[in-house]
Amino acid sequence: MNATVLNDDLMAPAVIANPHAYYHNLRNTEKIHWNERWKGWVLTGYKEVVDVLRDAEHFSSDRMGYLEAELTQEEQESIAPIFRILKYWMVFRDPPDHTVLRMLLNKLFTPVAIERYRPMVRKIVQKTLDKVIDSGKMELIHDFAYEVPMSVILELIGAPDLDRDKIKEWSEKIGVFFFIKADEPRRREIACEGINALVEYITPIIEHRREHPGIDLISLLISAEEAGQITYNDVLATCVLLIFGGHETTMNLIANGTLALMQHPEQWEMLSSNPSLLKKGVEELLRFDGSVKSTVRWAKVDWMVGDKLIKQGERLLVSLSGANRDPLQFANPDTLDITRDPNLHVAFAHGIHVCLGASLARLEVEEAFAGLVKRISCPVLQQGTALDYYPSVVHRALKVLPISFQAKI
Amino acid sequence: MAQVKIEVNHNRCVGAQLCVYFLPGVFTLNANGQSTIIDAAKADAATIIQTAEQCPQCAITITDSSTGEVLFPPADLGF
Repeated sequence: MNATVLNDDLMAPAVIANPHAYYHNLRNTEKIHWNERWKGWVLTGYKEVVDVLRDAEHFSSDRMGYLEAELTQEEQESIAPIFRILKYWMVFRDPPDHTVLRMLLNKLFTPVAIERYRPMVRKIVQKTLDKVIDSGKMELIHDFAYEVPMSVILELIGAPDLDRDKIKEWSEKIGVFFFIKADEPRRREIACEGINALVEYITPIIEHRREHPGIDLISLLISAEEAGQITYNDVLATCVLLIFGGHETTMNLIANGTLALMQHPEQWEMLSSNPSLLKKGVEELLRFDGSVKSTVRWAKVDWMVGDKLIKQGERLLVSLSGANRDPLQFANPDTLDITRDPNLHVAFAHGIHVCLGASLARLEVEEAFAGLVKRISCPVLQQGTALDYYPSVVHRALKVLPISFQAKI
Repeated sequence: MAQVKIEVNHNRCVGAQLCVYFLPGVFTLNANGQSTIIDAAKADAATIIQTAEQCPQCAITITDSSTGEVLFPPADLGF
């Protein structure tokens, strides 16, 4: 295959607008493709993606370690605040450090542990919808998709009164770093500002909780620290991760899912008349247009993936969205089918780094759609609205989703 | 507690390895990186159920070998 015929611009407007068509083309041409512009491999086949994600022995997630090695001393110092926090994030750590932290935190996020939050989440969904239901329209992301997960995560850390506008602002700044927004020259400085502000804001809360422990997630982290299972750096970094990771991706998932159902009104109606399909429906929304398009790994050693030799130190862009539309794994992959079963998608990744918050995200999205289909008719886009996505290789994130609907009685 | 039967649903297992981390004598990974059983008798039923709970995908089902009663996951979880 001649790789030069492939467009290697992952940020091209057409790719951002419709990544699925781009990944189909890439998968059909070369499932494991060297992207000269990104200087790494792009994987779009389900089998290849799953093989890499399930193989932490040969593929590293140590993003900060690999980044550090690329930077000069001066550059490293300029982003010290990012390193200080992000190098303790479980998502960027390899075994055995990762294993210790995961085994500890996993207990707080199991399907059984999360299920007990369902009444709380349901109430938040109801209250959020109450505010907009009578107007017959809303900007779905601002008014609903952001409100629900943000309220839930603040409840879980035991601080429902935190300033959510500030948290959103800082999270967006941190997000600049992950968006691989190469066209923003100040992206690292912006991320530092976001991290510093968030850390400054939550440090006194952690200390207060140390004196007055509760049953919230921060208190549970502190008790693990005091038992010598994790360090203070782990506590602080994990709090940042919970707040940052706890709302952004779920928000985008609710938005992408709503849009998918709006574009398939018969599926909206099916869900509305048969809420027992919610669990399967959410899995299909995750597969069809999940909020994280890709994740990155680094080869620890020379290693074969499919028919390609990946050399030690080379990076791989593992396309979750590409795998989720692979016709070898999913029949009619471009068809939204909320009854699809089995549906072993990779929206939360596979392997040891599978999303810690997956059960919480599933619960929130289930309750979000349970509330939506119960209380409003299948919405339509407000007139004159264009669908515009943030230019990101990683996130599938709509800027706004203004909708009109009829409230059900 | 009774002897239990362990089943891993490979249409759900994503190879998160929590079961292997918590009970390496009972669970291991197959060539596809998915969980499989080595020896269900290597741990008591309560420990096996606690381990099954750790699965983020609810891919592990535990039944009582003699009665066939499902001990995990609980029915109200909807899996």
